[in-house]
Amino acid sequence: MTLIFDQKNDDFDDEALKQALRRQSAPEGFAERVLLRLDERNLAKSSPSQSDTSSHASWRAFFTLPLVRWAAVAAVAAAMVVGVAEELHYRNLQREHAQGEAAKQRLMLALHIAGSKLQLARSRVNRAGATASGSPAHAEQADN
Amino acid sequence: MRKPLPLLILLLLAFPAFARAQDVKIPVDVEKLSAKAKESVEVSMDGPMLRWASKFLSADDPEEAECAKLVANLQGIYVRSFEFDREDAYAAADVEALRAQVHSPGWNRVVGVRSLAHGDNVDVFFRLENDKMAGIVIIDAEPKELTFVNIVGPIEVDQLAALGGQFGVPRLNPKSLAQAQSQSKKDQGEQR
Repeated sequence: MTLIFDQKNDDFDDEALKQALRRQSAPEGFAERVLLRLDERNLAKSSPSQSDTSSHASWRAFFTLPLVRWAAVAAVAAAMVVGVAEELHYRNLQREHAQGEAAKQRLMLALHIAGSKLQLARSRVNRAGATASGSPAHAEQADN
Repeated sequence: MRKPLPLLILLLLAFPAFARAQDVKIPVDVEKLSAKAKESVEVSMDGPMLRWASKFLSADDPEEAECAKLVANLQGIYVRSFEFDREDAYAAADVEALRAQVHSPGWNRVVGVRSLAHGDNVDVFFRLENDKMAGIVIIDAEPKELTFVNIVGPIEVDQLAALGGQFGVPRLNPKSLAQAQSQSKKDQGEQR
């Protein structure tokens, strides 16, 4: 090894210094190796493992197929259509049930009114029968 | 030119079926009474509507089960009931127009009550077909109230009367009554 600094003489060896500081080009392929290392380090940081990276890449590749892409779009559209149809069907059922309940209430009301009026007619006939003599009320009960 | 004849025959054949569905027509003036009435109930249910409504009657509820039995063979129920704030809100001619329709062959007046003291006028008419009940019409004209009921089809009168509660006070619970009345008003609004 060349001594650059002579401790005995307390002086620099000019030649040795020049030699040491001379411009030298990097070994061949050095830059590529450095960049490759950097890439590897970045990949290791971003993805947990090599196998995951490769599987993601394969999935991505799978979905880039036009047929698969259209199938996915069709599946999503079909799911939306089915969902909307189900919702409409459910709402129709609910509406039909509410209308049916209302119709039932009206039917029962009609029957109750009819029944109450029959009861009223009976009570009027009974009252008229009981007070027929000397009362302003008169009742007639026709058999035919 | 030959087409109208079969069509006419078909219409003539079909007419009695339509006419039978609601023999008694409610006069227009009576239909308009709801505008004057304090409270009104208007129910018009033909056969298919009755079938559909009776599907919602619960077999577990004794009252509803009774109703289902009553309406099983009916072809229609038509009810108009108006309650007014004042007397003479409706014309006697309106009531006569209703009565005149049931003063026809096939109809029998079973009850007719005229009370000058109370102002009640109740008429009950039955229609018999082959000695079987085929319909009932009730007209109750009181000073502040007018009720018209037309039930088309075979019905058990005693069962129907039992549904009415005691002395004309309906057994129907107030909640159901309010619901039915609001629905009736809604339907009237839709029809208009």
